[in-house]
Amino acid sequence: MAAASSSSTSPKTTTERRGIPGAQFVEDVETYLSQTGLDVNSALAFLQERLQQYKLVEMKLLAQQRDLQAKIPDIEKCLDVVATLQAKKGTGEALIADFEVSEGIYSRARIEDSDSVCLWLGANVMLEYSCEEATSLLKKNLENAKASLEVLIADLQFLRDQVTITQVTIARVYNWDVHQRRIRQAAATPTA
Amino acid sequence: MQQGPGGSETEVTWEDQQNINKFGRLNNRFHELEDEIKTAKETNDNLEDASNELILTDEEVVRFQIGEVFAHVPKEEVETRIEEMKEVTSKNLEKLEEEKESVLAQMTELKTILYGKFKDSINLEED
Repeated sequence: MAAASSSSTSPKTTTERRGIPGAQFVEDVETYLSQTGLDVNSALAFLQERLQQYKLVEMKLLAQQRDLQAKIPDIEKCLDVVATLQAKKGTGEALIADFEVSEGIYSRARIEDSDSVCLWLGANVMLEYSCEEATSLLKKNLENAKASLEVLIADLQFLRDQVTITQVTIARVYNWDVHQRRIRQAAATPTA
Repeated sequence: MQQGPGGSETEVTWEDQQNINKFGRLNNRFHELEDEIKTAKETNDNLEDASNELILTDEEVVRFQIGEVFAHVPKEEVETRIEEMKEVTSKNLEKLEEEKESVLAQMTELKTILYGKFKDSINLEED
């Protein structure tokens, strides 16, 4: 039985993607209503509810996207610092830098040649790495973040498509209903 | 107001739905691009201002922000760095502008197709 969730038989229905149910494309409103056995109002209510669920998931994904988009420049900045330290290593001169002690208060630091850096890993944990290890770890994190972002963006696109399909279906069901009422009204008053 | 069979009931095929979806996606991308272009232009302006300031200053050592700290860097190195950053930003800006043009062109094409089929039943303008 070709159920709505079978994506192999009907190319017009994508099952779901990472937990997001796909919106079923409606070829013909009348067939759709008889297939689901719903009357117009219940169908509209069901579609509206689906739309709300989609909106919720969209909020969640957008928040995740914002987080990732903030994380990526952070990692790039860290890579920059490690690269600068490595460049200074050969010259033998110390790097003098002004850093923030507290808001509005800066202090001067003298960074001697060093082979290792400490990386903040989160959860109050900081580990010491050699410059090369630090660079490769940061690069790996950057790649993972970029890859996750891409997957997230694809998810959002899929979600938005489902939202559009659902909105179009709602409009069509509503229009079909208006059309039906008009026909019934015309039939009820046969005198032109 | 027509009451005939072709009245307010235009059929929507899967292809139409896909066109509508694609238009929606392009519209979203267009807005994202506008924001990105705005940010890139601001960065470009900031770098311009920075390099102008550099020319005016007579200090030998400039505090250049790397990550969260301001490192003491000799003026020439800062100039080189800023030049590099300016190049990267303007290339990025060019790429974004090109993508925006292509997105706009695709959207106009889709508009013609969709308005052709649905005429007044569809609205593809900005709200």
